[in-house]
Amino acid sequence: MLAIARSELIQIFRNRLVLVTMFLIPAGASAFFIYKRDAFASLGLGYIAVSGLFAVLAMGLYATSVTTLAARRQTLFLKRLSSTAVSNAGILTGLLLPVVALALFQAAVILTALAVVSTRPDNIGLLVLAVLAAAAMLLALGLATAGLTNSPEHAQVTTLPVILGVIGVATWVGTTGTEELTLLKRLLPGGAAAELVGNAWNGGVPVADSLILLAPTLGWVVVAVAVASRVFGWEPRR
Amino acid sequence: MPTTPVIDVDRLNLSYGDFHAVKDLSFQVERGEFYALLGTNGAGKTSTLEVVEGHRTATSGAVRVFGHSPRDRRAVRPRMGIMLQESGFSADLTVRESVHLIGKLTQRGDTVARVLDVVDLTRKADTLVAQLSGGEKRRLDFATAVWGTPELVFLDEPTTGLDIQSRDDLWAAVDKLREDGSTIVLTTHYLEEAQQRADRVGLMHRGAFHMEGTVSELTRTLPAVIRFALPAAGPALPALPLPATREGDGKHRVETARLQEDLHVLLDWARTHAVRLDDIEAGPTRLDDVFRAIGND
Repeated sequence: MLAIARSELIQIFRNRLVLVTMFLIPAGASAFFIYKRDAFASLGLGYIAVSGLFAVLAMGLYATSVTTLAARRQTLFLKRLSSTAVSNAGILTGLLLPVVALALFQAAVILTALAVVSTRPDNIGLLVLAVLAAAAMLLALGLATAGLTNSPEHAQVTTLPVILGVIGVATWVGTTGTEELTLLKRLLPGGAAAELVGNAWNGGVPVADSLILLAPTLGWVVVAVAVASRVFGWEPRR
Repeated sequence: MPTTPVIDVDRLNLSYGDFHAVKDLSFQVERGEFYALLGTNGAGKTSTLEVVEGHRTATSGAVRVFGHSPRDRRAVRPRMGIMLQESGFSADLTVRESVHLIGKLTQRGDTVARVLDVVDLTRKADTLVAQLSGGEKRRLDFATAVWGTPELVFLDEPTTGLDIQSRDDLWAAVDKLREDGSTIVLTTHYLEEAQQRADRVGLMHRGAFHMEGTVSELTRTLPAVIRFALPAAGPALPALPLPATREGDGKHRVETARLQEDLHVLLDWARTHAVRLDDIEAGPTRLDDVFRAIGND
């Protein structure tokens, strides 16, 4: 598994397009939010954290996961790996480990930068939990989407609904809160995770109430993994 | 005491939706054997191979490899090497990195230097896979299949795209594997390769075995053939001593179960009547002939 992860890391650093997608776009978006933080002051720093985090996770983690898996499948690299002694779970873990690690690293850098230039999050533990839950959800959605994606080029189309949807929901929750349409906002993918990130950063909500927000996010993980287990293939889709 | 076959396939069926790709197929491959799985296009040999390799699940039937399910990767894969029909390497890795990665994942011990030497890719060790030719990619594929000298090696169209020298080198490496006791399962469209090396052949057609046996058992099912051309001009010739048919290119064709005797009869006839037999060919039936006979069914 680690050998696969190492080879994947080598490939990521040899592929400029992936590097740009993984680093520059999310980093640029986050830098914008941090630079313009005063303009969003009325919305709270939690909203800026949500925006930066979901930019990284949607593009750096979700889209890159889908593109990576589609590319490895199209070139029969997945089939090649599956002809070895490593389990399917081990192969997927190895392939996605560098993407996850880099995305989490980016998220940590961006959130740390935000904390340094403004104020620290109210509950760091809860924030870490929220980030991990959101990452798990987008990773699972990535697996499911990869099952429906024929090629890296096709990924540019198949990833759009989730990217736009998750960022849109997070923005909606971040800007309007969840006092109205509470259930709908929390059940949409990314809604509960965005609220949890906001609570962790801004404070003012009992931890127990915030922890309940993990349930919808983890529910999306279960749904996405169930879909992935049905639609994910190891050979090119025809 | 009888030994457990390396591969034991019992009444294998495989369907893709309504299409029944493999029908009630049963065969065994013994330890150290060279088994060739041949067939017409769409005969089901790749589907069969993929089930035996563990890449696909059978619709019904039992498949055991080393006594285990082929899906049991931990039990089976460290003992087998697979040369896929298409390469499946990452274009952004070098030859060395590719061999090292796949070799390490097989859980067999070996060195990159040794296997690259086997396939004559040492000079290309630091070349990206994207920059290899088709033949070099096939050799890279073979290198990963023979990493650690596995007990069982699957070769799926191994020489497609290889030049003559590379083919000879590859078969020399396969011969060495056999000397070391490896069992070989081959699929190929180059029938002469199977004819020269296979201990047994399974000949598939439309999802089932048309025939299975040694090469000589298969070729004995058809008569040997003598082909020759007679002078187009000149005096009328006496009747041929053997029943012959005319082929599309105008040559005469004699089918015989007694090749040597009938060849003597024909040559005696030619000498007696001072007839020159042009382009004469005589030989036992080849797998190609058996193969064509299937296609005519």
